[in-house]
Amino acid sequence: MSAQVSLSCDRIERYLGEEEERVHALRGVSLEIETGSVHAVVGPSGCGKSSLLYILGLLDTPDAGHVSIESETVSHLSDDELALKRNKFIGFIFQFHFLMEDFTAQENVMIPMRKLGQLSDAQMRARAAELLDGVGLGDKLRRRSRHLSGGEQQRVAIARALANDPRVILADEPTGNLDTANSQRAFELLQKLVHERGKALLLATHNPVIAEACDWLHEMKDGRIITSHALAPENGRL
Amino acid sequence: MTPPLYIALRFLTHRKRALLLSLSGVVFGVAIFICTQAQTQGFTRYFIESNIGSNGALVVRSRFRPRYEPLMVAAKNSKESTGGRRLYFEGITNPNEIMRVSRQFPDVISCSPVLRGSVSARAGFENATVDLYGIDPALHARTTDILHQLIDGRFDDFRNNTSAIIIGSRLAELLQTSVGDTVQLLAPNGEYWRFNVAAIARAGIGSIDSTRIYSHAKVAQALLQQPSGASMIIYKLRDRNRAPVLASCFETLFQHDALSWQEREESTLQLFLTLRMSVAITTSLIILLAGFGIFNVLAMSVLAKIKEIAILRSMGYRRIDISWIFLWQGALIAAAGSLIGCLLGALMTWGMSRIPIHLRGLLYTNHFVVTWEWQHYAFATLLALLAVFIASYVPARRAAELAPVVTIRGSR
Repeated sequence: MSAQVSLSCDRIERYLGEEEERVHALRGVSLEIETGSVHAVVGPSGCGKSSLLYILGLLDTPDAGHVSIESETVSHLSDDELALKRNKFIGFIFQFHFLMEDFTAQENVMIPMRKLGQLSDAQMRARAAELLDGVGLGDKLRRRSRHLSGGEQQRVAIARALANDPRVILADEPTGNLDTANSQRAFELLQKLVHERGKALLLATHNPVIAEACDWLHEMKDGRIITSHALAPENGRL
Repeated sequence: MTPPLYIALRFLTHRKRALLLSLSGVVFGVAIFICTQAQTQGFTRYFIESNIGSNGALVVRSRFRPRYEPLMVAAKNSKESTGGRRLYFEGITNPNEIMRVSRQFPDVISCSPVLRGSVSARAGFENATVDLYGIDPALHARTTDILHQLIDGRFDDFRNNTSAIIIGSRLAELLQTSVGDTVQLLAPNGEYWRFNVAAIARAGIGSIDSTRIYSHAKVAQALLQQPSGASMIIYKLRDRNRAPVLASCFETLFQHDALSWQEREESTLQLFLTLRMSVAITTSLIILLAGFGIFNVLAMSVLAKIKEIAILRSMGYRRIDISWIFLWQGALIAAAGSLIGCLLGALMTWGMSRIPIHLRGLLYTNHFVVTWEWQHYAFATLLALLAVFIASYVPARRAAELAPVVTIRGSR
């Protein structure tokens, strides 16, 4: 891999639960995600895909090993510093979109921008409108998120993940709650953004079609990455 | 606007029922606190004003001299001190000299000598024991509010006629007399002196209005057969709160007993203070209950917004930001509740002052007496802010401590 590494982890160990229920969720997982590439993590439920994503997304801390963003180790950072890194460098997309119900589509996209505090209110509105337009929701800016369909909500979540122009996008089964057509649209949108804007995308998925369309495929089992291989460029079409 | 404030505003305005519930508790707590304090302090102030207006802010009374007991030695650790013992001599023998020196004090506006005695009064078939105040009309008018207290008759008719008296309003009712009638006062030698009622005065305090008669000092001295020209000197001060300091100074200077209005009316003032404290505690409980209400609303809000908290944390919001979202909600409720509460409190106070009542006991009034003090509004607001801060602190802290990954895992 000659491209710049946006996000990496080295020998990550993670235990979940207490005492008898303690599970060894991740066992020495190492991974590198380069700029402009789409990585898929596949594997059966409970194999550790989401746990890996939460640790890479700085939402959870590993029991051993370390995470680096653009070669900078971040595992030792304080909670506030990690929050700042999340805000600036990472965009999250969840299976259940997790939009703020009391806010409109545009306001949802503006929430990470407000925290970053680099744009004026008008600039934030304009950028949110641009991002929503990019995901095909330019005409639904002022619609409350609860009044959007599942596919539309997931597209708002994608726009929100891109709000602060993060280098890394982490998606935990982003199409898991969508029908085939919407899954395809959402993935194509993400793929296009990664390749055109030089982002790095790591997604956990159960969908073999989407997994096969990625640049890299990592197969997980029992908390370990058992195989990692690059896929042929012509596969990158759904 | 900070992001936590922006989100707090949105959270609040989208839960209108909970917002109204929280807000109404603070509004009514603050309003009732202000209204009750305005009333209780209103009556207290009315009593103080009326009392000082009739009896002065400071009174110099009997002469004294220290009791010298050179042979007595206080035992070690004895609590009883012989230094404070005094011998009192009734009356003031040199009132003019004391008044002349007193007027040099910048705090003293004016002073007036009074010869006081208790006599029996008769009018028609009615009798009463009265408190006779022999006064110098001009000096007394400058020192007290007697001119404003007259409800019938003219002060000049009293000033220009040595056989005229001013009679208290309730005493006039008791003796069934009015202006122009004759009242007889019984001298110690058993002789009745006839006086003409020149005016009727209402101080507003039952104990004064039901017993007091004013006559000219010289006439009172002859009637009471008193050797001294005055039994006390009453003072009008620029700052009535300086009365205790001045009383202490006058005692040392004149070797006469001096009493401030605070000391003179201590028991009544304590009664008012106790009543005021009691009402303040009761109404503070309303605000505290409102605080409990807000605690419940915010605690429920934390549970309801657990998913949103996790989203915000995943987007880079810090724990302190999450805390602030809930603290801001409390602060906004407290601020809006205090503001509306203050306005409602002022409206209720105004409305209360218009309610007719018929008080004829300790005080004389035909309507609720209220005061307009900014301190009531400030204290009620402070109390509301404190109660709401305590109420919102725990939910805010709880929200901040929520681990986002646990919520996100749980939602899968």
